[in-house]
Amino acid sequence: MNIWVYVLRRLLYVVPILLGVCLIIFVLFNVVAGDPTHLLLGKHATARQMAELRHELGLDRPWFYQYFDLVKSAFTFDFGRSWSTKQTISTMISEGALPSLTLTIPGFVITTILSVSLSLLVSFYRGSFFDKSSVIFCVGLMSISSLAYILFGQWFFAYYMDWFEISGYDSGFPNFIPYIQLPVLIWVILSIGPDLRFYRTVMLDEVYQDYVRTARSKGLNEKVILFKHVLKNAMIPIVTYVVIQIPFLILGALLIESFFGIPGLGGITLNAINSSDFPVIRAMTILSAVAYILFSVLTDVLYTVVDPRVRLK
Amino acid sequence: MATNDGLKRIVLMKKMISVLLSIALVLGLSSCTKKEVSNDKVLNLAVSAKIKGMDPIYANDLYSSNEVARVYEGLLEYHYLKRPYTLVPNLAESMPKVSEDGLNYTFKLKQGVTFHDDKAFPDSKGRELTAEDFVYSIKRLADPKLQALGWWLLDGKIKGLNEWRDKYADQPKVDYTEEVEGLKAVDRYTLQFKLAKPFPQFLYSLAMPFTFAVAKEVVEQYGKEFINHPVGTGPFTLSEFKQTNKIEYTKNPSFRKKVFPSESSPEFKHMLTDAGKTLPLVDKIIVNILVESQPRWLNFQKGRIDYIGIPKDNFDSAVIPGKGITDDLKAKGINLTVTPSLDVTYTAFNHDNKLFSNEKLRQAMSAAFDPVSSNKLFYNGTALPAQSVVPPGIAGHIEGYKNPFFGQNIELAKKLLAEAGFPEGKGLPEITYDCPSSTISRQIGEFFKQQMSKIGVRIKVVQNPWPELQKKIKNRTVMLYGIAWGADYPDAENFLQLLYGPNKSPGANGSGYNNEEFNQLYKTAAVLQDSPQRTALYEKMNRIVAEKVPWIFGVHRQSYVLFHSWVKNYINADFNAGQAQYLNIDVAAKKEASKKL
Repeated sequence: MNIWVYVLRRLLYVVPILLGVCLIIFVLFNVVAGDPTHLLLGKHATARQMAELRHELGLDRPWFYQYFDLVKSAFTFDFGRSWSTKQTISTMISEGALPSLTLTIPGFVITTILSVSLSLLVSFYRGSFFDKSSVIFCVGLMSISSLAYILFGQWFFAYYMDWFEISGYDSGFPNFIPYIQLPVLIWVILSIGPDLRFYRTVMLDEVYQDYVRTARSKGLNEKVILFKHVLKNAMIPIVTYVVIQIPFLILGALLIESFFGIPGLGGITLNAINSSDFPVIRAMTILSAVAYILFSVLTDVLYTVVDPRVRLK
Repeated sequence: MATNDGLKRIVLMKKMISVLLSIALVLGLSSCTKKEVSNDKVLNLAVSAKIKGMDPIYANDLYSSNEVARVYEGLLEYHYLKRPYTLVPNLAESMPKVSEDGLNYTFKLKQGVTFHDDKAFPDSKGRELTAEDFVYSIKRLADPKLQALGWWLLDGKIKGLNEWRDKYADQPKVDYTEEVEGLKAVDRYTLQFKLAKPFPQFLYSLAMPFTFAVAKEVVEQYGKEFINHPVGTGPFTLSEFKQTNKIEYTKNPSFRKKVFPSESSPEFKHMLTDAGKTLPLVDKIIVNILVESQPRWLNFQKGRIDYIGIPKDNFDSAVIPGKGITDDLKAKGINLTVTPSLDVTYTAFNHDNKLFSNEKLRQAMSAAFDPVSSNKLFYNGTALPAQSVVPPGIAGHIEGYKNPFFGQNIELAKKLLAEAGFPEGKGLPEITYDCPSSTISRQIGEFFKQQMSKIGVRIKVVQNPWPELQKKIKNRTVMLYGIAWGADYPDAENFLQLLYGPNKSPGANGSGYNNEEFNQLYKTAAVLQDSPQRTALYEKMNRIVAEKVPWIFGVHRQSYVLFHSWVKNYINADFNAGQAQYLNIDVAAKKEASKKL
């Protein structure tokens, strides 16, 4: 099948998926979460004011109108204004995406390079002390709460050693660099445990394949075997794992952004949840659903690039 | 062959290590963050919540109202150096003339006050403030289309304003030119209010950001984006507004001649060294939005934030009970100020529930609760156990008064419970205690449960998202709920209204308490100006609620704030929205002190 036909067909799936996502969001916020007007009006809210606000926000209209509005916003990306901050949500997203990406992209790239490289190394030394230590190291890293890394890292490296900024953010290159150094380091520490363990398993699966033994018996050196053969064959799980994480990079890192005062989408989402800011939560959920769908299509397409045996049907 | 393999492995490993080291270098591990202290007078602040925006009519939380008050101003303000809180003119030339019946208030405005320069004005030059601006700003507060969060303040208070609001509720457009009987610009500089009924707290409304002056041209120029473009008459102009990160202000170059006060209460005499100096005293303000307490605390210790409310988790490392701050902080030149907050925490009974019409049961539960232990557990022992509803610092609070059912008195509680008809809790159903969903609220709920179990009262703690809890309170489906109230203005009426029968939920009286004697006293006091007679009525109401136990009283919190030696004139206050203009920074002292941080 032509790749473009395949992509188009997959993209058409976005329609029913988004309708379903909208339905779930609608039920969660309109049925389960209750009336947000008290939170929005504060401690002096009167019944009349609450009724007026419900009317103003369109919450007193029949449910199918409200659902239609939700669906419309999902397809037009016009999410309106935040209930609590009164800012246009598209502006909030466009202003928040960049700070999030300045943190998550370097963290993600460094972690991926490091963990893929280390996984190759440990699979090369499989069964050795180095390999076993790496497994213990990964489990150790994963056993500690992410909050502990953030609190300790901020106190020790930024406050006590004075190596990094404690918190804050300046937009524009290179102004933001001093502010993302420590958050990126913590991101790497937080992600390297699970990533290295995953890639090690992938590499070990490949290392024991027949073609590796064949290559060795042909006298190829280990570097060629690892980089040319093993890595190439391990690309499908690697691509899946990498590409599917990309949508979450846009959404930022909730805790790291919050502790380091980075004005990214993670912080915006957290704030919206705390203040029952339905339009913002709705926008972020729809955005992540769309990004997830698009990147899963991209993953499928990339399969054909990294492994010519894969055919799209 | 084996040796060859080994060598190859070593080479490969070396390459990997060099990659790791390069990444470490890119991360800039060796970078240093020491910064030079600026020669400008810059006030560095940190707030723990995102700012809702810069429109006065939506500034219903402490953080937003502080930001709004840097740019906008009102007719009145609280005297910076006087306690008890005293209202003084700000944009008004003098205090208003009040008619004998207390219904008419006439203000003369200061002349020559101008708005900040902005493109909304002809030639981008800020025009003069007039009485019409206040008429417009207060109508905005009442505009049914804007859903202002401060409307409660004037709801039913100004003659004709509610009618004006109701008239346009269902119309597509609101007509601001239509006259409102109780709100008039008599001439360019004279403003007149006619109240619908006596409201002695009216003047406090005019010191709150909700009623601050905005210019019609600016509102119309920016439309919905007005919330991001504040243009007021205040001491600072907004230079950068990143709602989730940082807000920067610079000194308003065209600010009118306003000087630091030359009178003060005795406790603030030492601040009079700046008396007569032109305000504002600093050149720039940087407000950092830091939601988490650790970065606020660490930045403060590094001198990058000038003052900070001590985070709960850092309290023990900063304060030694009864002795003040630790030697380490003292050596850094850090100072502590402790101020009682005008608030009260409480556990309310739902009085629509027949079970709680049993007064003895309420009294028994009050006597079983231990506010002293609660204070130690949840407020580091810094709060003041509440004997009744009115906090210390305002008229109506009775100094030295002891609530007869103040806990913990298990013996009395058991006796009262038996008299209530539930000896050892027998026959008493399980009581649900609803609270917000935060960790601390759950802990307070669990503590309450444990306290009540001592007399055999069974409690079930139920956590709710905040809107859900409010819904339950409004719909009267709660039994008990834990909550707090902070003052909107320094008058006991603001607390007593929470127990006034006709204010029953969905009004402010969430517990639905209805006591005829209390109601009568409240009605009488509500129309009286501040006087010994009114104070006596407040005190009487305060005693009634202590004895009848409509709530189980918790604590009045105190705020502990640390500030650096270079910050001058800092006062911690409940109503300090315009404070930044009075603060001063000693740059030389900062340079010196920063070396120790």
